[in-house]
Amino acid sequence: MTELLQFVITGVTVGMVYSLIALGFVLIWKSSGVANLALGQLVLISSWFTYGMLVQVGLPLWLGFPAVILFALALGWIIEKFALRPLIAQPILSLITVTLGVAFFIEGATSFIWPKSVAALPRFFPQATVHIGTAVVSQEYLWAAVISFILFVLLSLYFKYHRMGIVMRAAADDQLAVQACGIPVTKIFSMAWMLACILAAIGGILMSSIGGITFGLTETGLKAFSVVILGGLDSFLGAIVAGPIIGLAESLGGGYLTPLTWPGVREIIPYITIIIVMFLKPYGLFGEARIERI
Amino acid sequence: MLKLNSVEVAYLNVIRVLHGVSLNVEEGSIVALLGANGAGKSTTLKAVSGLLHAEEGEITDGNIEWNGERIDRKNAEEIGKLGIIQALEGHRVFEHLTTEENLQVGAYQRKDRHAIKQDLDMVYDYFPRLKARRRNTAGYLSGGEQQMLVIGRAMMATPKLMMLDEPSLGLAPLLVEEIYHIIKRFNIEHKTSVLLVEQNVRIALSIAQYGYVMENGRVVLDGTANFLKNNEDVKEFYIGLSAMGTKKSYREVKHYKRRKRWL
Repeated sequence: MTELLQFVITGVTVGMVYSLIALGFVLIWKSSGVANLALGQLVLISSWFTYGMLVQVGLPLWLGFPAVILFALALGWIIEKFALRPLIAQPILSLITVTLGVAFFIEGATSFIWPKSVAALPRFFPQATVHIGTAVVSQEYLWAAVISFILFVLLSLYFKYHRMGIVMRAAADDQLAVQACGIPVTKIFSMAWMLACILAAIGGILMSSIGGITFGLTETGLKAFSVVILGGLDSFLGAIVAGPIIGLAESLGGGYLTPLTWPGVREIIPYITIIIVMFLKPYGLFGEARIERI
Repeated sequence: MLKLNSVEVAYLNVIRVLHGVSLNVEEGSIVALLGANGAGKSTTLKAVSGLLHAEEGEITDGNIEWNGERIDRKNAEEIGKLGIIQALEGHRVFEHLTTEENLQVGAYQRKDRHAIKQDLDMVYDYFPRLKARRRNTAGYLSGGEQQMLVIGRAMMATPKLMMLDEPSLGLAPLLVEEIYHIIKRFNIEHKTSVLLVEQNVRIALSIAQYGYVMENGRVVLDGTANFLKNNEDVKEFYIGLSAMGTKKSYREVKHYKRRKRWL
């Protein structure tokens, strides 16, 4: 029983971080129709950048984190401006391939700047463990969940009420009509990339505060893919709901199947989920239905 | 105020769809651009609004002037800022947004919150039906309401020139009358010029002062609304009345006898 509770709590909390990263994917997909294949690499480089700021440069937290956010903003802006914008109006496949190129570039740059394979961020969450029922959880997990939740709320308020947020949703519906209103779509794309990079950076910080900075962080990107595929590529709600599901599948499957099968089985569970979802519900759980009046 | 000088447009660098179109829109007037499917009416509008680039189209010759300034090299955003706003053909609302959010998108370029609020009320005043549906998802509105929403959205940008692409498309005659009545009212009350693309010649000429007839990418006839209404060819081929001004009897149709005089 204790074991189960433990798995559930870690699964759900880590899953919420997956959701956070996945939201960045959905944002770009919805506003510009581009599948961002560099998601995991964005997580990786911003985690290493955090390490660079906090440990190597030795900035205090209150200065280090804003620096990371600024870095993420700049990164998103640069990627959109220099990698994607020149390809506007080209076949969508070219744009997606460019994100793959960006992924390799970031991966190379990261291992060039930070040749170490493993590092740890300084511990910025309180270290005392928390007892929930019979389970013992370290606070990193809970903070990850709380921060993700706050960001979900902020984002949904942004899309509901902010001018730019509303226009971003409009662009998801009809790009040409947005242009006809005299609104620059390029600004929307660059906003989407910047937001996605910030989400990836925050996700990266949360993940590496739990498990340290390793190359394995790129896999977080892949897990975020399974989240969006499960939730539906174009659904914010889907990403938020599917994250904890993938997290749960991973931790429960990993926890109970490893003794029965082979070590490392938890790593493949998200991908097995993708395949099953593709068979059963190709548009995902919450893929936005096309509105058709009858 | 808006002036097209023998504009040629080609798509994908090979398919030429406009062969030198010239037209003029005077300040505060309503101008109708008439013609059948594929005549190049919508392309003309897109050439003005800068939306051609999004469809791999390009102005290959001629120029477009706005108050004496050339705008044919500007992009859609810059042209929008000048006050030229196009409402696209075919009820293109933002389906997953509510009515009110759709209208807010139209006002995106403006910063004055107070005035935006007033204009929202103004649009609701023109289209009371939209007010009743303000919280509804736009994708589920009726065709007429969606068309009203598209026009309302264009109004929210406080345009100097509003370009409407077939506002009568797919709507019941009564609704068409209603919408045209509102366009006319907006034109008079706000001194907004209107460039109107329409296949429904009768209704378009009922509010326009001047009209151009397009065929195969050329302007073949132009004149005041009264001139066009009384032109034999327009009556015969676009309004469906015979030379006598009575309803056409298909028993006596001899199309080969009557040729368009502009050909």
